[in-house]
Amino acid sequence: MANVKIGLFGKLDMLKFKNITKVREKHIQASPTTPLPKVLPTNEKAKQHHPEKQEVVIADIRQNGSDAKTIVLKTPDGSRLALFRAGQYVSVLVPIGGTVTTRSYSLCSSPALARQGEYHITVKRDDAGFVSPYIQDHWQIGQKVTVSGPEGHLYFEPLRDAKKVVALAGGSGITPFMGMAYALRDGLEDFDLTILYGSRTADGIVYQEQLDEVCKACSKVHVVHVLSDEEKDGYEHGFITAELIRKYSGGGEYSIFMCGPQAMYNFLDGEIAKLGLRRKFVRRELFGTIKDPWNQPGYPSDARGKSFRLKVLQYGKEYETEASADESLLVAVERAGISAPSRCRSGECGWCRSRLVSGEVYIPEKTDGRRAADIDYNYIHPCSTFPLSDVVIEVYGSNLT
Amino acid sequence: MPRYDAVVIGAGNGGLAAACRMALAGKKTLLVERHNLPGGCASSFRRGRFEFETALHELCEWGTPENSGNCRNTVVEEYGVPLKGCIVPENFRVITTASDGKTHIDAILPCGVEAFTDRMEELVPGCRKSVEDFFEIGKECLDAGNYSLSVNGKTDNKYMMEHFPNFLKVGSYSVNKVFKALKMPALAQDIMNTYWGYLAIDADRLSYLQYSNMVNLYVRHGAWIPDKTSHELTTGMLERFRAMGGDAWFDCTAEQILFDDNKAVCGVQTNRGVIETKHVLCNGNPSMVYAAMVPPEVIPERMIKLANARKHCARMFVVYLGLDKSAEELGLTDYSIFMPDSADSVKEYASGKTLETNNNMVSVCYNTVNKNFSPPGTCVLSLTTLYMEDAWADVEEEDYVATKNRIARRMIDKFEKTLGVEITPYIEEIEVATPWTMCRFVNTPQGSAYGYELNDWDSMMARMRMMGTENQVKGLKFVGAASIRGDGYNSAIFSGSTMAKLTLADMKKEEEG
Repeated sequence: MANVKIGLFGKLDMLKFKNITKVREKHIQASPTTPLPKVLPTNEKAKQHHPEKQEVVIADIRQNGSDAKTIVLKTPDGSRLALFRAGQYVSVLVPIGGTVTTRSYSLCSSPALARQGEYHITVKRDDAGFVSPYIQDHWQIGQKVTVSGPEGHLYFEPLRDAKKVVALAGGSGITPFMGMAYALRDGLEDFDLTILYGSRTADGIVYQEQLDEVCKACSKVHVVHVLSDEEKDGYEHGFITAELIRKYSGGGEYSIFMCGPQAMYNFLDGEIAKLGLRRKFVRRELFGTIKDPWNQPGYPSDARGKSFRLKVLQYGKEYETEASADESLLVAVERAGISAPSRCRSGECGWCRSRLVSGEVYIPEKTDGRRAADIDYNYIHPCSTFPLSDVVIEVYGSNLT
Repeated sequence: MPRYDAVVIGAGNGGLAAACRMALAGKKTLLVERHNLPGGCASSFRRGRFEFETALHELCEWGTPENSGNCRNTVVEEYGVPLKGCIVPENFRVITTASDGKTHIDAILPCGVEAFTDRMEELVPGCRKSVEDFFEIGKECLDAGNYSLSVNGKTDNKYMMEHFPNFLKVGSYSVNKVFKALKMPALAQDIMNTYWGYLAIDADRLSYLQYSNMVNLYVRHGAWIPDKTSHELTTGMLERFRAMGGDAWFDCTAEQILFDDNKAVCGVQTNRGVIETKHVLCNGNPSMVYAAMVPPEVIPERMIKLANARKHCARMFVVYLGLDKSAEELGLTDYSIFMPDSADSVKEYASGKTLETNNNMVSVCYNTVNKNFSPPGTCVLSLTTLYMEDAWADVEEEDYVATKNRIARRMIDKFEKTLGVEITPYIEEIEVATPWTMCRFVNTPQGSAYGYELNDWDSMMARMRMMGTENQVKGLKFVGAASIRGDGYNSAIFSGSTMAKLTLADMKKEEEG
């Protein structure tokens, strides 16, 4: 058997052990009674960089092309907003009548402006939509707005991406690339950005002037306009195809960044497949909420148009409402005026993660961003989940409201 | 106003273990958590087609049903959490320079006392006796700990002297002191010290008992990881808690702990309303809780002194990599590799204080143990380091991304150079977490993950022996890394379970009047 001695005598070692509490107490008693700090510098810096929410005021609203408006958001006192990586978005809180919803908008201004407390977002009007016409018709200069901290992962990452980025933008999908173009102009980032920008007609191009200006000011930014409904000199005609991407990719290694409507992503999936790129070189912005679950693989076709009972459990309370099979559970919860957290509204970020207590649901594979264990334990992201029966869910509260 | 027998603040491993213990005893318990998911540090996140493990390298004190460690006993056998996972076959690989400054060390140490000892003898001929002594004394120390637990800390001195003399003799010393007394060759000490980073205190000050326990538990039970990341473990605990009748509120921030006229806990004020309770088990850090969540008049002076005497431990920095080649294709075969510049932990601790000098690193490739950890043809690799001082307080927001990328680049370069394996071209997803990230998601002081330093005077054994004097705010107990046994999943789960037992004992006393 081992018989260890560290001091001269084993007995003294034992005595020393007996004294460890005394030694500790001595250390405690020798320590000052100085009040403990309420504020820790590192934690404060983290809060500045990753705020849960930020309060801003609408400083200006600028018409941008025929159907988009750029909204200038500023802090009331000029204090700084969280810095972001060009391409990131904020989730904007939008109260409409009795409901409170959110939308994610890419930050389309230079990250440098955030230091002066300024963010720009651009809202394109979709007349069939709920939020964009409301914002365009009702938001006014001077109005207070609550936004999240910067979120999202469509940004240039030098440790991962090719130094040449071919950006594929459709319509208001130009916004994250505006942020990137400004960041390049302001020397905050360093890569080569070629934007293939799809619009219907030359008149409808959002940001044309600003893009021209940035291209002039910065040799790292190039823009190729691709018009689907018009043939015009100096413009490419048709859709963004594999051939077009190849033409402007410069031959070497490149990363594709995409942002645009779902129809564009679906079309581009086929085109990009032809290029034989590794996945690491193809990055896409949030898919957005799926509006036609019945067109997605695996959807039980008889569910379309049906209406179900939805029970929501929240902090010891219960709410009952209706849920349409055609809309996400998040929308049903928001319609009922119940607070619910959300950010990306595309199934990805997990901010709305909630517990499915009972009921059948449909989750399109394309927007199923859940953790593996969450699938086992019946957790869902309500923003990308559609009811197929009466459903009970436990939803936590928003931290933006 | 809802009323609960107990409220658990924070759903980290400690909070979850405490909540489960309370629910298991039939107490009406509410778990509140500011984030939208359980786990605290012990979690996961998705990027593209990858799911990343946030924190876990290998669970200690786990084992198999046939050789079950105490942590597994608590979580699986007592709480009934169903879990699937993999045994990690090797304890570690270490690649470094010996403390003599010359000898190159590259060693893989297997699980199991015999295999481990044999390998040590191969690596450092002549060290066998000292390593055998290490394991023999280690067993004695584990037995002493179990005895102490079985009698609720009321140990019989004579029994201890008779059965655990070595435990008593090594109990007050540091790792380096005891290894020297065991006449362990210097090179063997260097290798045996490899795990010091898991406790983040150099071997001159690290309590031998604490270290010996950890190494013995790893070697004797083997290390283990859940198949679906820490999120499987923590969500599993959460769901068992619910199944046993517990309530859990997420996106719910505890703002104040409320006290009655007798300076006893009477409730918790949250951003979702006030909850009435007489017992709070808090997974937050005492320094921050005392400063911001408890009225000063209820805190005994000694608790403030204790908090002031302590130092926050291990500010985390992790590079998460999703690679688009499999571990086999890349030639990655080791699960965890420790790569400090030097095996001299005192030196490494010192260089770990600043951004410029810290070059310590541990890599983990999950796919070497769990083939299905990520999609076919890919693998996940994480590179972790920790800071011994509050080095990230001085970084400006403007420089944040560049700073974290510069350090990530340095770590990737070091990995590539040390292993002779190229990984940069295969990075499909990357995320870099810094102490700021830790502050954001778990709001620990300075982004630390290990609670307070397990200093020579503030080791596990000293904390546990003084457990009775640490809970001087009536109705408030702390669980997690900052609690009695320090950091590590198993220690956090132990503290949660133990503090819940003490709370149950308090409740019993109250009932008896």
